[in-house]
Amino acid sequence: MRPFTYTSAINKEQALKATTKTSHYLAGGTNLVDLMKEDVERPDQLIDVNKLEYKKITKNDNGGLSLGAMLSNSETANHPDIRKQYPLLSMAMLSAATAQIRNMASNGGNLLQRTRCPYFFETSMPCNKRQPGSGCGALNGMNSLHAIFGYSDSCIATNPSDMCVALAALGAKVELEQPGGSSRMIEFTDFHRLPGDKPEKDTNLEEGELITGIHLSEPVFADHYYYLKIRERSSYAFALISVAAGLQVKSGTITKAGLAMGGVAHKPWKLYGSEEFLKGKKPNQSNFEEAAEIAMKDAKPFEANKWKVDMGKKAIVRALTQAFEREV
Amino acid sequence: MNTVKKSGVGQAIDRVEGHLKVTGKAKYASEFPVENKVYAQGINSTIAKGEIVSIDTSEAEKLDGVLKVITYKNAEKLKTFDKEMTAIGTDSIAPVLQSNKVNYYGEYVGLVVAETFEQAQYAARLVKFEYKKDPSAVIKFEESRSKAYTPDNGSNYSRGDMQKGLSEADVVVEQTYNTPIEHHHPMELHAIIASWENGKVMAYASQQMVDDATIAISSTFQIPKKDVRVVSAFVGGGFGSKLNLERHAIMAVMAAKMVGRPVQVTVTRTQMFTNTGMRQQNEQKMRIGAKNDGMLTALSHETLSHTSTNMEYQEPCGMVSKMLYKVPHNEVTYKLIPMNIQTPFAMRAPGEATGSFALESAMDEMAWKLKMDPIDFRIKNDTQTDLHENRPFSSRLLVECLRIGADKFGWKDRKMEPGTNKKGNWLIGYGVSAASRNSPYQRTYSKVILDLEDDGKVHATIQMDGTDIGTGSYTIIAQTASEYLKIPVEQVSVELGDSNFPVTPGSGGSWGAASYCNGARAACENAVKGLKDNRNIPQDENVALAELLKRNQIKTFEAEGMAEPSKEFEEYSVFSFGANFCEVWVDKDTGMYRIKRMVNVGSAGKILNPKTAYGQIIGGLTMGAGMVIAEKTQVEPNFGNFITRSFADYHVPVNLDLANIDVVFLPEEDKIANKMGIKGIGELGITSVAASIANAIFNATGKRMRDLPITPEKLIEAEVEEGVAIS
Repeated sequence: MRPFTYTSAINKEQALKATTKTSHYLAGGTNLVDLMKEDVERPDQLIDVNKLEYKKITKNDNGGLSLGAMLSNSETANHPDIRKQYPLLSMAMLSAATAQIRNMASNGGNLLQRTRCPYFFETSMPCNKRQPGSGCGALNGMNSLHAIFGYSDSCIATNPSDMCVALAALGAKVELEQPGGSSRMIEFTDFHRLPGDKPEKDTNLEEGELITGIHLSEPVFADHYYYLKIRERSSYAFALISVAAGLQVKSGTITKAGLAMGGVAHKPWKLYGSEEFLKGKKPNQSNFEEAAEIAMKDAKPFEANKWKVDMGKKAIVRALTQAFEREV
Repeated sequence: MNTVKKSGVGQAIDRVEGHLKVTGKAKYASEFPVENKVYAQGINSTIAKGEIVSIDTSEAEKLDGVLKVITYKNAEKLKTFDKEMTAIGTDSIAPVLQSNKVNYYGEYVGLVVAETFEQAQYAARLVKFEYKKDPSAVIKFEESRSKAYTPDNGSNYSRGDMQKGLSEADVVVEQTYNTPIEHHHPMELHAIIASWENGKVMAYASQQMVDDATIAISSTFQIPKKDVRVVSAFVGGGFGSKLNLERHAIMAVMAAKMVGRPVQVTVTRTQMFTNTGMRQQNEQKMRIGAKNDGMLTALSHETLSHTSTNMEYQEPCGMVSKMLYKVPHNEVTYKLIPMNIQTPFAMRAPGEATGSFALESAMDEMAWKLKMDPIDFRIKNDTQTDLHENRPFSSRLLVECLRIGADKFGWKDRKMEPGTNKKGNWLIGYGVSAASRNSPYQRTYSKVILDLEDDGKVHATIQMDGTDIGTGSYTIIAQTASEYLKIPVEQVSVELGDSNFPVTPGSGGSWGAASYCNGARAACENAVKGLKDNRNIPQDENVALAELLKRNQIKTFEAEGMAEPSKEFEEYSVFSFGANFCEVWVDKDTGMYRIKRMVNVGSAGKILNPKTAYGQIIGGLTMGAGMVIAEKTQVEPNFGNFITRSFADYHVPVNLDLANIDVVFLPEEDKIANKMGIKGIGELGITSVAASIANAIFNATGKRMRDLPITPEKLIEAEVEEGVAIS
């Protein structure tokens, strides 16, 4: 690991003041510290934000709950109000990593997880995300686990988060504090970026901005929800494909659908078309199949990850079916 | 003598070293407090083939704490191999940093020695290497078939006439099975602390075989063996990767000499992929012929694997096919592609673990084609003679393993037709496979020291250079001493893993238990005999050990012992046998599956301690399940590096992946194997597990999965086998 300085901030003012072009905020550290050991992340300063107050779950103005950025993934996923009102979020978060990692990982940090693309991790290989301009090793290399939506020639990596897939399905806003003292809100679906020609930027966070909270939309999917994570082993594995599905059903008709996929794009992939299609439809097999077709029709897989299209369709149908049939 | 009965051979006592381990007092190689110690970090090449053109060490050397940067330019010249292509051995010379040539991605090209681990790690990143890449690097297995050669090591084998056997067959199965590169990955990283004093080397090293490590250091540095001491008191798993003294250890010994201080090298988890051996990729083509009544007529097993460009290793995948069944016409062949990937090396049950996947999958395919129950099919082709060696098995209870296992598992509930056992979204399948593993036994020396304590009890200390690689050697050796000295195990100490102790073959190849325990037995028997002879006490007179020392008017007594295979042993084939059963639930849409139950029945001679033996088997089953679930190391096709470089990428099974596991040991008396009737168990557990799971997946889905691992995406894409009617 390269040498770096460490500062512990006791409040947001201290944290925001300490930030520089090459500093990183340190929350749970479960991803950042690993990447520093691998020489992928090379901050010269870490600003520890673990003492900051953002550790509560509170009611927000949208009729929903807000998650403190510094609350751990475990505390969030197991919180009685989250389990009751946003069980989809709880389910997705509990499918991630291991209990030990979830105990350390923060909500804010989860939004900033970096890709698991092997070319990103190996410093001797080309990767535009790690080293802009060096090329994308995966494009003509091993890409069976890579994106099928929204990629560019400069990057075909995927976002690894489970929590973020659920957030994309549920709807949320991210609250950011800025070094100048002001704050801003950003729609969750605008938080992460597609790679374009700047794959080094995973998100639309601006320099020095600090995530303080995640404001969830009104809870409407507490009765019909499912997070399906297809993976190689039963825990501690990133998703091959994941689907977060939430349905609001009234008198046998879907009044609202929340659908997003993981493991398919540079950001949590919200299925706008399928959500729109399902609105006003009956929750049945053929409508779920149609929703899956709509979701995957613009997929552009590589030879090695063609299976994601087939698996994706089946996963969407299964997640919707499970969501609908779930006993409340 | 009740106490003896409770702690002697065969008793399920707790591990005698368990308390030391759970309290952190058991010292592993990197934990020995060595004064004045410094740390070294190996640097790995970033090309697959070529030459180092220039090295810039200036930035690294400027750092605080950096003592030395060693590359081929300033490394000590070491004894080299005798010839260009050298078959790898556990006591081989292991030169490193000797030239500017790079043979594979990740090969050591340098070492940084620094005061702290962190300084060494950081400095290693700052050494700049410029390479001239050789575009002829061979890194793609599929595209390099034409480069394959037949190894000149006598492994190819045939009996009868394969063509004749096939022509006599009513049904033929011809299929190819693929297994990927797999890595050993014991929990404890390879580690060594090496120091020099007055021309002598002292090394605390994590090794399975202490004597071989001692020889490797002495022959690489050309110093007398007596001037090398290796200590491997506790080893946190090896699975074969610690049979050899790997190159990090040679670099540590070299660095210690160059900086004049003790040097510790602990390899990183990523280096556990690139620098400590691996199981290579195998493509196994099976041809089986059988009569309609189920009698085998022909069996051939052709293996295509790879080795490195400068050394030869060939995994004996066809071994099981030569001896497991009664088949008159039999052929086993091997081919190797020299590749610019590190040299593969023995990994748990080399040959059986992978070979049995091919053989036992193909047997299941044949049973399906014959419309026979796969257990009946195997029983029909059982043999009590090893047709390969043309000699009887010392004992073979394979049929019993299959029958008792079938009963225990509830095999009768299996549906013959795939895809017919359903529950909701799940397709349920049952699978079976037969297992065998050679049970070698080797010459072992041991020493026992008896001390009459003030309380009138005798304390016995057993010494040998054998190791406990997590298997329970300490415990079973203590139980052996307890048995043969007739004292409780609490009065026995076992000291292992020091080259100053009597020589053993070390831990590997499933010979540890039989060798160590018979060695300890011989020493204990000699002690009792010696004490009796000294006082003319008849050997058959029953005298307690304390009384014997008293009658000799001594408080302490030493005896040595040696055990080795008998002449009779050479006239038999000595194997352990077993059967694996499993129930798998496959999700019909997502390709995810759950192993619900596993039953393993083994006949492995005398079970010294059911607890540690059970641990060995469930460890084997877990590793076997890992072969199926997700274990694979992938080679990047353009650069030649492994893209799996940590436990986040290389997926070993987690608890939730594993089933309810039931392990049964059949009582077996095999005095031909050795006096104590001990057979190997360390590798039996992994053997053919993969086939039993793949066979269960076929029974569940009608899909024949011939490429490991069987991941959800492969399962989704696979077609249902021809002839299977899936409703």
